[in-house]
Amino acid sequence: MENVLSILFCLSLFYVSVTSRVKAYVTVLRVQGIILSVLLMIPFIYKFSIFGIILPATLLLVKVYLIPRYINKVILDLDIKRRIEPTIQQMVFLPIVIATMVIIFLASSILSKSTELDVIPFASGFSAIVIGIYIIMSRKKLIVHVCGFLIMENGIFLFGTAVASELPMMIELGTLLDIFVVVFLMGIALNKISSTFEGFEVTHLGRLKD
Amino acid sequence: MKELSDTGNVLLIAAFAIQLLSIVFLSFKNERKALFTSNITMLVGLTLGLISTLSSTLFSSAEITSVSIFSGLIRLDGLSLYFLFVIQLVAIPTTIYSISYLRHYVEQKRSVKSFITFYIILLISTQFIVIANQAILFLVSWEVMSISAYFAIVYEKESEEVQTGSFYYFAASHVLIFILYIIFFLFHHETGSWFFSDYHLSFSSGLMVPVIFILSIIGFGIKAGFMPFHFWLPQAHPIAPTVLSAFLSGVLLKTGIYGILRIYQFIKPMPEWCGWFVLVISVISAILGVWYALAQHDIKRLLAYHSVENIGIIGIGIGIGFIGSANNLPAVEVLGFGGALLHTLNHAIFKSLLFIGSGVVYQNLGTRNIELMGGLVHPAKYIAILFLIGSVAISGIPPFNGFISEFIIYMGFFKTANELKNYYPILMLMFVVGLAFVGGLAVACFTKVNSIIFLGSERSEVKHFHTSVYDYISLGILALLCISIGFYPQPFVGVVNKVIANGFTTGASSALVDIDWLYFTMIFSSIALGVFVLYLIKIKLEKKYGRRNSAAWGCGYENLTPRMQYTASSFADELNTIPKAILDYHKKVEVSENAFPLQSKFKSHSKDFVDSKIVLPAFNVLRALVAKIEFLSQTDIRYYIGFILIIIAIYSMIAFLWT
Repeated sequence: MENVLSILFCLSLFYVSVTSRVKAYVTVLRVQGIILSVLLMIPFIYKFSIFGIILPATLLLVKVYLIPRYINKVILDLDIKRRIEPTIQQMVFLPIVIATMVIIFLASSILSKSTELDVIPFASGFSAIVIGIYIIMSRKKLIVHVCGFLIMENGIFLFGTAVASELPMMIELGTLLDIFVVVFLMGIALNKISSTFEGFEVTHLGRLKD
Repeated sequence: MKELSDTGNVLLIAAFAIQLLSIVFLSFKNERKALFTSNITMLVGLTLGLISTLSSTLFSSAEITSVSIFSGLIRLDGLSLYFLFVIQLVAIPTTIYSISYLRHYVEQKRSVKSFITFYIILLISTQFIVIANQAILFLVSWEVMSISAYFAIVYEKESEEVQTGSFYYFAASHVLIFILYIIFFLFHHETGSWFFSDYHLSFSSGLMVPVIFILSIIGFGIKAGFMPFHFWLPQAHPIAPTVLSAFLSGVLLKTGIYGILRIYQFIKPMPEWCGWFVLVISVISAILGVWYALAQHDIKRLLAYHSVENIGIIGIGIGIGFIGSANNLPAVEVLGFGGALLHTLNHAIFKSLLFIGSGVVYQNLGTRNIELMGGLVHPAKYIAILFLIGSVAISGIPPFNGFISEFIIYMGFFKTANELKNYYPILMLMFVVGLAFVGGLAVACFTKVNSIIFLGSERSEVKHFHTSVYDYISLGILALLCISIGFYPQPFVGVVNKVIANGFTTGASSALVDIDWLYFTMIFSSIALGVFVLYLIKIKLEKKYGRRNSAAWGCGYENLTPRMQYTASSFADELNTIPKAILDYHKKVEVSENAFPLQSKFKSHSKDFVDSKIVLPAFNVLRALVAKIEFLSQTDIRYYIGFILIIIAIYSMIAFLWT
């Protein structure tokens, strides 16, 4: 079950690396949020506890509803163009992503011989982290950067569940809070910058350097 | 060891509380009121602190007992109490003076609240440094002290001079705190404890202790201002507000001395090379410090170089103490450390006296350049007298306190030569000559300062020399201390002797108290009486024969102008040309070749050797190296993320190959 969900997660990563619409990124974030929440809920099929349901529920609320909604609001408010403006062509980007994922999957299958880990969730999580970074590096729009950060965060989540069967809840809540702050800051920064600069591309941010 | 029980400790804690409370009074809207109330509260706190220090066992006839408070975080032993005494004693006059000094800023509609806040934090943290018994508390207090001093120094931040000078201070204190961290981590590594009272290491246990020793000389040496590490000092002291320069030069440098002595207590006894190491550095500091001072035109920079000189003299005492400790000679130890400790107190007193005096002059003339001053004895007679007392004391001339401590150090030299025969007498003789030479140059330097500033005729017209009662109170307290330590050294020497007996020496020695100090009182009193009698005779003769008035430095010319007087550079020129290369002393004379000479120009300038030949070139090399990788510093966040990715890739590769 976990493997199936992880592979679904990987597929969403492929989709995100070829799409050229900002809206699609938000949809992918929603899908990934659902996948992660389901993944966390799996243990409760066998044993239900009201206390343990808090985290998946929060995850669902934040990752599937609040953050995508907020990003959509920012897109609408600031009238951001719908294309993502990549610096690398999608047809070049996809092979790089695939190559990276192959390397990561191979590496983690070798690693699994010496240490105990679930190969597929581990490798998917790790791939998400790296691809999140790729996305940040190869896209100009700030709003896409936010999405890249969030994909990275999802990767860390998956990665965490693969390494330890049960992460301490405080740490997971901590990362959630962290990313929440990032999204808000970005939103605020975008709002502020929009009054000073034309467009929302990182290339303009260079002018802020001292 | 005693726990927090007796009234002295309660008093000390109350004193700290009141000192902290003084920040609260800055919330007054009215600047003048805020300045006054917070300073007065600070004074009350400091006085209470001083009373509690004076009521401790150090100043009574009983043996010193180490007092621990707050489960050992704070410990008051002889050394702590002594330095606490020095800090509080000098902080009181500087705080009094700050009332009048800062009032000038208030009159110019500048806010002084930020300065006072940092000044108060600085005073409190400095006191905490000397009573901390735990490495972390010590380091935190040290950091707070450095940073608050920095913020207080940059008070007049719009001037470019202040920006560069304060950066020197900032950079030096950063390097310093880094070294201190290493020192205490090494101590923790060796002993497994953070508490000072657990630190006992010995040189025989390997390479670690010599490393600690060298690091502590460099680290604390930067703070104290020993010669190769002094370069920040003449840059930072002149640009600070005068209140702060007085405190920096008088007290803050002594925290470096405190550190060295503390480290000595942890790792004693020393091998002999440590003593020679400190001795040679100190003699170089003393001689070059005073020589650099001679070449300066800026009064505060000159005084800053004199701090280097005096720290050198203190270091000489410490060096002798180390040699005594290496050879197991309590008498030599007592004289060396005794001279160093007493000179610490003396220097704190007369240096802050001189700085405050220079501050009063600066406020009225608006310049720190000695060449533009002159004839100030006429409008400011008492300031001139008080400044003269400080000058005589710092030069180590008999009736004042500077002489007493230098005398003890001389005694240390002779005692060493006497006890350790062999080749020691000739080496000690060389050091004696060095110290005497320093004294001579100091006399020359302060003759220059006093004669150019106060004597002669006025170079720039002073309409009204404004002094306030606070100036006189603070200068008066300090001058009184100079005189009383000079004339009646016995109690002070006794206190110093007690400090040394409490955890310094290997064996008991009464070398310091055996000197019959009452003879000094007697001789000095009779000299003073003689001078007084001569003064009376002079007045009598003047009444009988009248007094002839003529221009100063007249040399038989008529129609003198103030520009024809001796200047500071012409006074010191001969002496400065001797170590031309080290002082980087340059003269530029332009004489017109016409038959009728129209205009001639003279310019002299001295640069700090360490600063201009070592520190700045080193940093230029560093900057050139950094410039080579500057292309990595992009404006675009995506490049940084790329770098992070590369690093992650490398790390994962290593981790992967490792397993």
